[in-house]
Amino acid sequence: MKRKIVMFIILIINIVLQSTVFQFIRVNYIIPNTAIVITVSMALLRGRAEGCLIGFTAGFLQDIFFGFSLGYYALLGTIMGYFVGRFNHNYYRENYALPLFLCFLGTIIYESAVFFTGPFFAGYLNYMYFFAKIIFPEAVYTAAVSIIIYRILFSVNERIESSEKYKRKLFSIK
Amino acid sequence: MKFFNTYKKQILRLVIIFLVLLILFTAGRKKRATPIDNALSFVVAPAQDISTTISSWVLNKVSALKDDTDLAAENSELKAKIEILEAENKRLSMYEEENKRLSALLDVSQKYPDYETTGVDIIAKDPGNWYLTFTINKGTRQGLKPDMALTDAGGLVGRITECGYLYSKVESILDSRSSVSAMSLRTGDLGVVKGDYTLMNDGLCKMEYIDSESEIMKGDEIVTSYLSGIYPSGITVGYVKEVVTDENGLTKYAVIEPAVDFKHISTLLVITDGFSDAKSGEENEN
Repeated sequence: MKRKIVMFIILIINIVLQSTVFQFIRVNYIIPNTAIVITVSMALLRGRAEGCLIGFTAGFLQDIFFGFSLGYYALLGTIMGYFVGRFNHNYYRENYALPLFLCFLGTIIYESAVFFTGPFFAGYLNYMYFFAKIIFPEAVYTAAVSIIIYRILFSVNERIESSEKYKRKLFSIK
Repeated sequence: MKFFNTYKKQILRLVIIFLVLLILFTAGRKKRATPIDNALSFVVAPAQDISTTISSWVLNKVSALKDDTDLAAENSELKAKIEILEAENKRLSMYEEENKRLSALLDVSQKYPDYETTGVDIIAKDPGNWYLTFTINKGTRQGLKPDMALTDAGGLVGRITECGYLYSKVESILDSRSSVSAMSLRTGDLGVVKGDYTLMNDGLCKMEYIDSESEIMKGDEIVTSYLSGIYPSGITVGYVKEVVTDENGLTKYAVIEPAVDFKHISTLLVITDGFSDAKSGEENEN
């Protein structure tokens, strides 16, 4: 329960920061997608189920406040959490290279999906143009930001896990 | 979580089907916020408000440090400008009076009536890179409704797409989903100003469907036309930056530089009233 509340608060803080403070750190109009970073990090740390749940919630919040139909970003987030959660089993948590690489790759796939479901159908067929102008810079920026955010989430997760272990011990005495 | 791990494929399939159906059912834009939206916005909107206030305050302080020295010069410059504008304003209000008198004589209703406005602040912007929408800090509680137009001091900004209790979502004219019926003030040529994915990040938009024989040219002022069902007529949209003939040779499009600087907007005006008058005025004219 504690974990759920903490993660929900983190996601709320994330949508607030994304829509306000991060607007001031746009580089060449590009803003990093921290929702992807949180989804990827938590999916890596905790596995598929939580990856899906967090991807869903992060996407749904974006749908509610900035989306044009409910469920669009939630769907993308869920699928991403599922696929990244695959890597949960065989990797060391202290390894920072994998989250960075997956954030980079994840952003490219995520934004390409947005492109092929939105602008592409509106008649903008030139994928390479948008790749060079929006998708690739965003992926680089997101990967750079992921180093900091992964560290924060890593320690938050460590704290929650230790408190959960403590509880389990209490119950085992009984 | 154990339950999920045993049935993960089935659960995921169900969730995906549910979400796809949800997307399809909610894709026709909703204009009123749902209770979930409102409940969440009670937490998020004030937080966004505070966060924007703080960050813009910090940014102002930083930029103030940077150009502290120029302030005195700028101040005197602005004072001189105000004097000129005041003089011009007086002259124009005289014209307005004269215009009213003459229109009354001719029994023609005002084409550009005064609009009642209310000031709003932008509290949040779209966190993505594909669209340009804002959230503003007033909603149905303050009497805002969907489809009301927003302006800045310079010109048209966009329209309200969805109203919550304490917040509203705004679609700017640079957003690719927006289209505004517009005309050239000098020549009267009609067209549609649309947002464009390729131009959005340069702060530009496109005016499409201009007749190939129109004499629209660089520097022309573009205003909202009297044909628009949403936007009141006569609001400046921007200025023509470039005119290009389409491949088919029948129509032209123009690249428009909006009168509003979308990078630095914070306080806007919502046109809350007067639109219905303008509409009835048009009917009278016809």
